[in-house]
Amino acid sequence: MLREPAADHGIRAERIQKRLGGNDVLRGVDLTVRPGEILSILGSSGSGKSTLLQCLNLLTVPDRGDIWVHGEKLAIRAISQQGGQARILDHRQVRRVRASMGMVFQSFNLWPHKTALENVTEGPVLVKGIRRNAAADLGRHYLAKVGLSDKADAYPRHLSGGQQQRVAIARALAMEPRVLLFDEPTSALDPELVGEVLRVMAALAGEGRTMVIVTHEMAFAREVSTRAAFMHRGLIEEESPPQEFFSSPVSSRLRGFLASHR
Amino acid sequence: MDITLLLTSTVTLASGIPLTLLLTFASLLAGFVLAVPLSFMRASSRKWLSLPVLAYTYVFRGTPLLVQLFIIYYGLGQVGAIRSSVLWVLLRDPFWCCLLAFSLNGAAYTTEIFRGGIQAVATGMIEAAQAVGMSPLQIKRRIIFPIAFRSVLPSYANEVISLVKATSLASTVTLLEITGLSRKLVSETFAPYEIFLAAGVLYLGLTFLLTGFFNALEARLNGAPRAKAHTRRVALQQVTHEL
Amino acid sequence: MDGFVVQFVNGLKTTVLLALVSGSLGMALGLLAAAGRLSRWRAVSAGIGFYTTIIRGVPELIIILLIYFGGTVAISAFFGRYVEVNAFLAGVVSLTVVFGAYTAEIFRGAVLSIPAGQIEAARSLGLHPWQTWLLVILPQMLRIALPALANQWISLVKETSLISIVGLTDIMRVAAIGAGSLRAPLTFYLAASALYLALTSLALVIFNLLERRFAVPGR
Repeated sequence: MLREPAADHGIRAERIQKRLGGNDVLRGVDLTVRPGEILSILGSSGSGKSTLLQCLNLLTVPDRGDIWVHGEKLAIRAISQQGGQARILDHRQVRRVRASMGMVFQSFNLWPHKTALENVTEGPVLVKGIRRNAAADLGRHYLAKVGLSDKADAYPRHLSGGQQQRVAIARALAMEPRVLLFDEPTSALDPELVGEVLRVMAALAGEGRTMVIVTHEMAFAREVSTRAAFMHRGLIEEESPPQEFFSSPVSSRLRGFLASHR
Repeated sequence: MDITLLLTSTVTLASGIPLTLLLTFASLLAGFVLAVPLSFMRASSRKWLSLPVLAYTYVFRGTPLLVQLFIIYYGLGQVGAIRSSVLWVLLRDPFWCCLLAFSLNGAAYTTEIFRGGIQAVATGMIEAAQAVGMSPLQIKRRIIFPIAFRSVLPSYANEVISLVKATSLASTVTLLEITGLSRKLVSETFAPYEIFLAAGVLYLGLTFLLTGFFNALEARLNGAPRAKAHTRRVALQQVTHEL
Repeated sequence: MDGFVVQFVNGLKTTVLLALVSGSLGMALGLLAAAGRLSRWRAVSAGIGFYTTIIRGVPELIIILLIYFGGTVAISAFFGRYVEVNAFLAGVVSLTVVFGAYTAEIFRGAVLSIPAGQIEAARSLGLHPWQTWLLVILPQMLRIALPALANQWISLVKETSLISIVGLTDIMRVAAIGAGSLRAPLTFYLAASALYLALTSLALVIFNLLERRFAVPGR
């Protein structure tokens, strides 16, 4: 993967606010992800961590706040006083930015009518305009990377949850993104299948990729991340390198959270 | 019952099959082409897009096809502007009137069927497509519609069968498809049993073929057919046995 | 057009009566057929399967024509002179046969979708099989079948218009007569569509009320 350090300013989100279903899910969050960084976001359910992640590639449009991705400010119109919805102003830009950020979902979200390989190649073909057979080579390469070379022609319904999630990771990788976003990638998996997905993610972390991981896997976050953040009620309560984060947390809430997730 | 007459009239009526099939497939195609964009409009959360389509499907599904056909075939001629336009060349021809009526009627049903499928597509499928950077049109074309179409295939198959049967109404505006031929033959021979039975057999053959085709298509698109509700049947039969 | 208002009212009455009579008879036939289709007697089940498959695979118009003209031939042969079958009667018979076939499949599907556990529970309570049918299966089945029944009733209202082809003076026929005599086909057929739309809308409203009345919370 080519990276131009000078041009890559990572991601910066400032004062992100989002109200969903009458709740203030995000209450003015600031977040920075530097290139090469592996940031784990922890927090109890409802703390806003998944919404924050979805704001970074605008799958959820924040009501207020600014987002820069790779040095480019995203064009969003904030929510108006009259109750008008916040919305994307430059769809072209958003598509370009999304293509540069791979996303892995909690429930895999593989397209059921396409084979594992087609799931992986669809993005490169449609979004990047790569020719079908070149994309197929690319797809096979990334399926091999997640250890699923033999499942290229299998449909999602014939794959286990762990295999589906690995295909989803290959799908994100095939766009050769500059950042990978993981939204609780192992939460929907049976316990015995969690390991295979975490191993793939650890291998990716070892390549020096920029990753943002929303997760409940404490041991994994501690081992793999370069920085960890704790969210509580729509704000980042504490963030620090993993050693400090897990060994000497400052906030009492984080201490309580860590104690209850041991 | 005259078996010989049954057989000879089956052969005679078979010459109406091409017209029945032409009407069916032409209106099927036109209805499909109309229904795809309309179903997306109908599924839209924007009222100004969905309400006009709802009005269309409501009226066409709420009135008899026979009335719709007669409005087009007999009624439009009452409008001077239509009589004097170039469209009149087509609209005074019963074949084109049938095609128009069947297409508009079929499109109304198909729109509602596709709409149901579109609205049932899980948001996660769409989010995953947005996340790789696909455009809204690409998402509709490559993700939403294929998933929706597969999920509504059984209903769509029923709609196609209904359309085959609906083409029999073409006989009311003088077209000699299977039903038209059989009515003509009955008026000449006055042997309704044999002739209408023969027509029924031909229609059954057509609907069976189409049912088979759609079952095969469904199996192909969805893998092995899903297991039937076997345990329920067993429990039910036990109750029935004790009656 | 004024003189036709009375005729349209009469046509409307005929259409409604035809729909109600053949709908009620058809549902009764459908219930019987569904019970037979689910019965242990293979011959009965197969025979009814044959009936529903054939009827649903053939255009309604062919069935109507067969019953009307076939009936006329049969009765004429019986009396030894030409006797035309009453169009209303032919309509009731053919629409009942059609409606019965479709509702039989609806009822059958609804019965099959009742969880096996419920039937087993009823049995384990020591309910008599007919009690199981009457108290457990039938009420649930009707509730599950309601949406599909609504569609079928709406189809039935529209299908009554086909009986005008064999001469029944229903809404459709009144419109055709008016269209011919006043040379205003568009006006008359639009009036007919408005009447049919009112009827199908009414059926829709009634079934929506029924569904709300018998809705199971959380289902």
